[in-house]
Amino acid sequence: MGGVENSEPPLKRVKVPSGDLKNLVDEASHIVPISSSLGDSMARPPCSQGVEETVGMKGVIKKQEFVKIITRALYSLGYVRTGALLEEESGIPLHSTAVALLLDQVRGEKWEESLVTLHKIGLSDEIMVKRASFLLLEQKFFDLLKEENLMAALDTLRNEIVPLSVDVGRVRELASCIICPSQCMALRISSQDGTDANSRSRFKEKLEKLLPAAVMIPERRLEHLVEQALDVQRDACVFHNTLDSEFSLYVDHQCGRNQIPSHTLQILQAHKDEVWFLQFSHNGKYLASASKDHITVVWEVKESDLVLLKHTLTGHQNPVLTITWSPDDSQLLTCGVEEVVRRWDVNTGECLHVYEKAGVGLISCGWFPDGKGIVCGMKDKSICLWDLDGRELECWKGQRTLNISDMAITDDGKRIISICRENAILLLDREAKFERLIEEEQVITSFSLSEDNKFLLVNLMNQELHLWSIEGDIKVVAHYRGHRRTRFLIRSCFGGFEQAFIASGSEDSQVYIWHRDTGKLLLTLPGHSGAVNCVSWNPMDPRMLASASDDRTIRIWGLDGLKCKGHYSNGNGIT
Amino acid sequence: RDMGRLFLISLEGSTYSCKHCQTQLALLDDIVSKSFHCRHGKAYLFEKVVNVNVGEEEERMMITGMHTVADIFCVGCGSIVGWKYESAHEKCQKYKEGKFILERFKVLGPDGSAYWVGRDPQVGSDADDA
Repeated sequence: MGGVENSEPPLKRVKVPSGDLKNLVDEASHIVPISSSLGDSMARPPCSQGVEETVGMKGVIKKQEFVKIITRALYSLGYVRTGALLEEESGIPLHSTAVALLLDQVRGEKWEESLVTLHKIGLSDEIMVKRASFLLLEQKFFDLLKEENLMAALDTLRNEIVPLSVDVGRVRELASCIICPSQCMALRISSQDGTDANSRSRFKEKLEKLLPAAVMIPERRLEHLVEQALDVQRDACVFHNTLDSEFSLYVDHQCGRNQIPSHTLQILQAHKDEVWFLQFSHNGKYLASASKDHITVVWEVKESDLVLLKHTLTGHQNPVLTITWSPDDSQLLTCGVEEVVRRWDVNTGECLHVYEKAGVGLISCGWFPDGKGIVCGMKDKSICLWDLDGRELECWKGQRTLNISDMAITDDGKRIISICRENAILLLDREAKFERLIEEEQVITSFSLSEDNKFLLVNLMNQELHLWSIEGDIKVVAHYRGHRRTRFLIRSCFGGFEQAFIASGSEDSQVYIWHRDTGKLLLTLPGHSGAVNCVSWNPMDPRMLASASDDRTIRIWGLDGLKCKGHYSNGNGIT
Repeated sequence: RDMGRLFLISLEGSTYSCKHCQTQLALLDDIVSKSFHCRHGKAYLFEKVVNVNVGEEEERMMITGMHTVADIFCVGCGSIVGWKYESAHEKCQKYKEGKFILERFKVLGPDGSAYWVGRDPQVGSDADDA
């Protein structure tokens, strides 16, 4: 849509002086002047004299501005008559006389006259005036070239454009146009795409953006303000777990707690002993669970949210303590406690390879982002990198990991993360070969990496969860409390829409869910009859959460049966 | 008895561990004094102890005076293995604050040896007037 074209009131309708010419020059002024520099007639509605009027309860919205952006919006929507009528009825024209004249002249392609008018607007910023002049003269230049009046074009360039001393680079481009006219067409098209009409509207957009907002109200200003308000509402909505299409302007947005999984949909019973770990695949179509019974179960998540057993993976001689999905979800790695790592095919359930190191038990595992290698933590505290066939590619010796530690690799393959000391996590940079540490005062029990790899959720011995930012400045950005942990390895995770929530297991048999940004505890979900060791939120379905417990079961949590889309508070945020 | 994946800190070197479940509790090197006593005989004062849960604080009259202590329990099996000195009321006893007592009867020594009650005459708890 063209910038100025559609929103331009017919010039003859501007009967009353804007009264805001002085405002253009001195934006700090709140007093509407009686006289205008163009000497127009004094006819104006009495209410706009004296101190500036405001609308709204807080007295911060200036009535003039409010009406003007509404007028602007009306014109943008194509309601030209209504827009003009509003200007007339309110006595508040959208543009000052000078600006209206300028726009009219620009539309009529009267470049000389528009330049004169430009200077009459009374802008205080000299550079801005020069740049606006440049734009107008550029159009004049192009028009002359089109008429093939090279001498006049050259004259304009030399005597009018160059003395402005702005946009020197552009001047050179324009000069090249004279020498090579075909180049000019190319240039014109490259900077102002498409046909003449399009390029004209592009120029108008540029001019509009150049002038101060008080002089030329930006297009879509009202829409922008409304969107800002919606953003604020959305951020304030701690239960927000859906896409934005649910917003209404009639009432403030507020999701009900039924937007977060809180209801047990299924209880999965397949393990014969405590379930210690579980995780959804990247595509959300599978769930894998690991147990003290030495078995890993692969479950399939059906369309209807029903979760069904797909494979039972046997082979480990020790309890299985962790699982990692390959980047493409076609394979799995499982690690037995101080034992071996096995690689499985998800489709067939076959064990494809066993990774082990003579005399050293493996304690953690992770996939390399390209899917062609695996990283394992060893009982002797080193970390090894192997290719899929088991050939050792690299080995970091020394105290890189501990007996009980998680392992994570960032998606770019650059950093390997593990707990290297009782109270420190190692961020090992593979390429640059340097290390950074996250140091805590308490003992660290486990951690979880966010999807965007920018945050690390750390579980501490004292029952606190700390959220660390690990990109750029390494520091704690949030704390979460409430769950219980005194003896066991309890895991927590990120989840929900845009990973806006933190979920955790707990020794009191409940699942805990916090709002990530505010740290507020939102829900505690009872149901399990034993400690909840691990939780996993479906990365592709913000309404599905899974939990693993000592009671040998896995619970799939979903939205409350009522399925209401959202609960709206009363009207305008007055609670 | 069901329990989840225990989170245990591993110690390297000569360690004392829980008599019932062999969970490591402290390093030989961290012994501050061997001259303490408890109801079950000998007790050692340690600088640091791991894999224990600290119970409720309470006031207890010891041989050397009133102290605020909290019993400590093995994370692995839950049995009581000693106590922690939270605070001492008398200045000369302050050196104990933040340190732990492990009852010799409740732990296995670095060589795996146990200890039998009755070897020493039963006196009150505490001691080592440093």
